[in-house]
Amino acid sequence: MWPRLIQRWKGIALTLVGVVATLWLTLTGQLALYIHPRYFVFTAIMSVIGGLLALVALALAPDRDAEDHEHGSGHDEHANHDPSADAAAHPHRTRLTARRRRLGATGAVVSGTIVVGAVLALLVLPPAALTAQTAVDRDIDRTTADLAGDAPSLAGADLGSFTIKDWALLLRQSESPSAFSGQEVELTGFIAPAPGDPDDAFTIARFTVTCCAVDAQPIGITVHLPGWRERFAVDDWVIATGAFGGDPAGGEGAVLVPQSVEPTSQPEQPYVF
Amino acid sequence: MSRTLDHRPRTRVRATGLGLGIAALLALVSIRLFAPPELGAGLSDRVQDFVTLSVSVVIESLPFVFLGILLSIAVQLFLPEDFLVRRMPRSPALRRVVVSLLGVLLPVCECGNVPLARGLIKRGLSVGESMTFLLAAPILNPVTIITTYQAFGWDDGILVARIAGGFVIANLVGWVYSRHPDPMSLLTRGFAASCAHDATADASSKPRTAARMFLEETGEMLPALFVGSAIAGLIQVAVSRDVLVTLGQNPVLSVFALMLLAFVISICSNVDAFFVLSFGSTFMPGAIVAFLVFGPMIDVKMLALLRTTFTARTLVQLTAIVALASAAIGLGVNLVA
Repeated sequence: MWPRLIQRWKGIALTLVGVVATLWLTLTGQLALYIHPRYFVFTAIMSVIGGLLALVALALAPDRDAEDHEHGSGHDEHANHDPSADAAAHPHRTRLTARRRRLGATGAVVSGTIVVGAVLALLVLPPAALTAQTAVDRDIDRTTADLAGDAPSLAGADLGSFTIKDWALLLRQSESPSAFSGQEVELTGFIAPAPGDPDDAFTIARFTVTCCAVDAQPIGITVHLPGWRERFAVDDWVIATGAFGGDPAGGEGAVLVPQSVEPTSQPEQPYVF
Repeated sequence: MSRTLDHRPRTRVRATGLGLGIAALLALVSIRLFAPPELGAGLSDRVQDFVTLSVSVVIESLPFVFLGILLSIAVQLFLPEDFLVRRMPRSPALRRVVVSLLGVLLPVCECGNVPLARGLIKRGLSVGESMTFLLAAPILNPVTIITTYQAFGWDDGILVARIAGGFVIANLVGWVYSRHPDPMSLLTRGFAASCAHDATADASSKPRTAARMFLEETGEMLPALFVGSAIAGLIQVAVSRDVLVTLGQNPVLSVFALMLLAFVISICSNVDAFFVLSFGSTFMPGAIVAFLVFGPMIDVKMLALLRTTFTARTLVQLTAIVALASAAIGLGVNLVA
């Protein structure tokens, strides 16, 4: 009974889990933790349609016995005749039937595990942005350099509207570290260890996303702040205010020399696009 | 079987089914609303990121899978059985050319193409032609072509190599499998059997048939999508990106490195060009082309979805052919560049 029910309705169960999770994220403004905003409308519309179709399927799809009678059977999964009658008529099939039942039970356990896993990942655990661990794994320094070609043009630009991503790419693209010396900025990001993990500097970082979190690439700017570990931990969100300048620790490239670094909460859109 | 006899119980099931569905929906909503927010705090960063990455693949792909299932149902319910067969050229080679251009009309992402291809097989497409469609549609569609153009313009022939490469590989694979003596043996037994009895041939009403198709397609597709997403998420946290990037400057290794990345990351073909653009400075153009040709055709998530329809043996062969051909195209571009 249970294995058959699970096998038959697993798709609808997963549909409902996915739809509830997606619509809840949409309504609470957290969809941007997972996908690029250009997909928001499409995702919400298709989720509503998917949810309605699941309910229609529950309401209209004939139960399996009725379906088997209607079609006869050739389909493996549809072959659920009464086993005792089957065995009596064809004793040599008894073993096959028992084996099929065992397979059915194993399949149901696998499907049940997938559904439970989906409920846990999508509905029980709170939504979360990627952590600094992934930023380190993906090498902030290298991805910032790789993306530098996308830096905004300076001609006629309003520097005040530049995001942390714009500045990170510009600093990396510029040939002279002093090109933006003295430029005042206010940057919001999470703390990741700077290359070499020094005690007098950290990287203020964000992820930039093309499609969904899977392709998130970290970008960042080094912030010179001796003793930062006493005030902050990796992954803390901060607002750093200050001016760009040469690295007081003697490193290559420009760093942010902050006037203030204050803790803040994770913004509604933790990724930049 | 008399239809009057089974009429009554089926009507009863309707109300129960809908009631159960709404109850399940409310239960899931309550779980989401009342799950304590501190539950995630106990997870290590890596486990947390594994969950985030996997969930992002699910949320990104699910709408496309729904769209693909809807199109597949529409094709099966409303397209007359011999419509495709009658309208397509008789020559098998020309038919494959036409099939590989179907993506122009149906610009859904590759994960939506799997349910659609299943519907097309049931509506008269041969197994080889369905592979041509599956491989060509994600690349030869307007959205992919436009985003690739936006990302690369005409630089290094990347756009042309992508379009031509996708077309050639899709037609090559279709031709190879058209020579198979028993094409139905390439399909999983369950799917082959469901092709043998036409799902729309019964006397049920169209809404009822559509409801059953939705039930069956989600039952096949969604477990595969969830498992594929979890594997994609797991590989992401387990394999260091450094290893891949270190290989980037070698003309041969760079091609395989980006193909491996495409396989792992399972990104949608409509936007993969923007993603790989950032690797343009590190990797050679041939590697970028290999990424853009191989990725839409074969990746972790696609293999999980394709496994609902094709046997494991077929998928191993398919992956090998597509990988070798993509690598050949990538290496060729590197030679010229």
